[in-house]
Amino acid sequence: MASHSSDLENARVNSPNPVKYVSDFFDRYPIHKNYYLRIFLQALVTIWAVMSFTFVLVRLMPGNPVDVLIEQILTQEGISYQEAYDRVAASFNIDPDASMLDQYVDYVGDLLRLDLGTSITSPGTRVIDEIARFLPWTIFAVGCGFLISFVLGIVLGMTMAYYRDSVLDHSLSLVSSFFTGVPNYIWGLLIIIGPGITWKWFNVGAARGTYDPGLTPGFNAEFIASAIEHALLPIFTYVLATLGSWMLSMKSSTASVLNDDYVNVAEARGLKDRRIITSYVGRNAMLPLFAQLSISIGFVLGSGVVIEEIFVYWGFGHYLFQAITVRDYTGIQGSVLILSSTFVFSNLLADLTYGLLDPRVRITGEK
Amino acid sequence: MKTAASPNFLLSLLRMPWALLSGSYHFINRLRANRAGFIGFLGLIAYFILTFIMPYFIPFDSEVNLDEIAGPVGSRIQLAVHRDNAHLKTFEDLASKTVGVVDQTGGPSLIAPYADSITIEKYRWTSRRAGPGIRAALLDLADKEIDGMLIFSKTVEQILADDEDLELQAVYREHIVISNPELGPPHLLGTDTQGRDIATHIVHGGRILILTAVIGGVISTLIALVVGSLSALLGGPLDSAMTALSNLILAVPRLPLLVVLAGLIRFDNTLFLGVMIGLLGWPPLMRAIRAQVLSLRERDFVEAARSLGLSTTHIMFREMLPNMISYVMINFIFAITFAMYEQIALLVLGLAPIDDYTWGVMLYFGRSRGTLYNEDGASMALAPVLAIAFFQVCLVLFARALEEVFDPRLRSAV
Repeated sequence: MASHSSDLENARVNSPNPVKYVSDFFDRYPIHKNYYLRIFLQALVTIWAVMSFTFVLVRLMPGNPVDVLIEQILTQEGISYQEAYDRVAASFNIDPDASMLDQYVDYVGDLLRLDLGTSITSPGTRVIDEIARFLPWTIFAVGCGFLISFVLGIVLGMTMAYYRDSVLDHSLSLVSSFFTGVPNYIWGLLIIIGPGITWKWFNVGAARGTYDPGLTPGFNAEFIASAIEHALLPIFTYVLATLGSWMLSMKSSTASVLNDDYVNVAEARGLKDRRIITSYVGRNAMLPLFAQLSISIGFVLGSGVVIEEIFVYWGFGHYLFQAITVRDYTGIQGSVLILSSTFVFSNLLADLTYGLLDPRVRITGEK
Repeated sequence: MKTAASPNFLLSLLRMPWALLSGSYHFINRLRANRAGFIGFLGLIAYFILTFIMPYFIPFDSEVNLDEIAGPVGSRIQLAVHRDNAHLKTFEDLASKTVGVVDQTGGPSLIAPYADSITIEKYRWTSRRAGPGIRAALLDLADKEIDGMLIFSKTVEQILADDEDLELQAVYREHIVISNPELGPPHLLGTDTQGRDIATHIVHGGRILILTAVIGGVISTLIALVVGSLSALLGGPLDSAMTALSNLILAVPRLPLLVVLAGLIRFDNTLFLGVMIGLLGWPPLMRAIRAQVLSLRERDFVEAARSLGLSTTHIMFREMLPNMISYVMINFIFAITFAMYEQIALLVLGLAPIDDYTWGVMLYFGRSRGTLYNEDGASMALAPVLAIAFFQVCLVLFARALEEVFDPRLRSAV
């Protein structure tokens, strides 16, 4: 990427014409051809589009949520129309009297200050605080699950590739079909019904929530042990549900690396098998998987919605589902924004890191 | 893959059945090389028979039976008689005798066809399983006021285990025996929270679910195919717009997006849910197809067709499509699995219409009514869980086998 900066230098030195038009500026400084800038801007535009989408979703839906909410508060709490109206307006952080454009500008401005509004159903709670309260649990559980299944998948996938067409390979690929085919919440239900209820290996009821009540969150052994204990079932489910795809990716990636000349050369040089496996085959076969891993970060928040309901694990998915069931529009809006931002930025991360990790991949503007 | 166009359309129509037969014969032969894939294929055929043909022969059990609630696998109606009458075993033996049944249980409907020959003594159901109605009947049986009684096996078990009811237990042990433990038909998969047979629900619960998933898969694959190839072939603003749209749809993870939309919109028809899933599902495949068309466009045979002056439609359907069709087929199957996944997730969360009693709805009720956490009644959730899991696995195995059949480089002796 050093070439880009030198292009910029050359352009500056060699062009005597002053900048008159916007197009002259881009001719002189070809920043629009910079791949990194482009994908970064693309990500920003996508997030802006999602922002606008949630704005439309909440304001222009059939049966305007604002009116519906005012009605709801009126019938439930029997306060005056003006009071209900003020409360809804305050929650949404908008002035329903203002024009749509003003509302939109206000909304975007608030979001840029990370102000996602206050909860409609429980007045006074800021959505951003609520999300910050639930989010770490999901990141913890899903993150652990994804990492464990990534490591396991790499080991098993490499094993499959090394013993290709053996009984081991075939049984493992059958197992991986099971892992990928069966939906993650079905794994969750199977875990509850089988080991939990029928064989009674653990107490399903006690595993609910994120930590035992009565413990103070913080860096004490008791709390951490309890948190891990409660997250165990979701983690196990995530491992089962994602393991198959890692195994298959790693198998095909390893199989293609094994055919490469440098592996043959390394073998011919008489290097130890252990060294070939780790630093020649393993490292190179893992490269494409790292891009997949950073893309899958984007799925971390979203994949919990059903699992967390099934295990009654109070993470982000649980918050989103609660917001939906009580029709807390600002909560939904904030959750969707957080979800899509993580997704977009993890994709961006994948694009950025892939070129860095694997120098063979030359990234140009064209994909 | 390309066949020469026959000059006579009718003739080619006549040939079609034969072509289909021989084609599927060769296809199955090639599939058999992949054992796991062949098992998946057979599994899919079995699922087709189970969900599309068997419902015509096995009626949906909608009869609420209050004593049969959450019965375990294999439970059924038994015949209880007085110890002295242990020889009475069948309805024929009971002719001209008096038999007790408790209303709102499985007994009345079972004995109804024999109402001419058997005197039926009805007892009123009261609240609990093994409650006063059943207790009164059993006491009458012990006093020989009735000669037999129809009682659910789970209820018998419960009466025997019921420590509070020592008096009844004594009477039961002393005077009453089960002369025929297999009087009624068995509930193969147990009963649900309303005492209805789960096996019949499994038979009836797959059709709508699979249809909805297929609708989702068809719609998303079709949109991906049309939009992907059009934007690759035409390029320009259409391409940019479609790529931007697909980026936008991809930006929000699909399941949470569907959860939000389903929560806000409330679909009133399951099949409409399939349409919704399809409308949101096309972007990943569209990108892949667009990339494929872009690369196919540069190939020699397409160049040749273009320099011959053949139309874009011809190039699209006769030159490019045959080269992509296997890829599209495989992704169509994966699209079905995704649609199934999303649809059932919405059902489990209770955000989708529950009018059709599908496997997903069974799961929803199994969870919300707590049978999931009850060892005996777990079948209400376990049966659909297994049905869904094996269906998805069959689809994945079949799709992977197709990948190998179409791509000889991947072919191995699995």
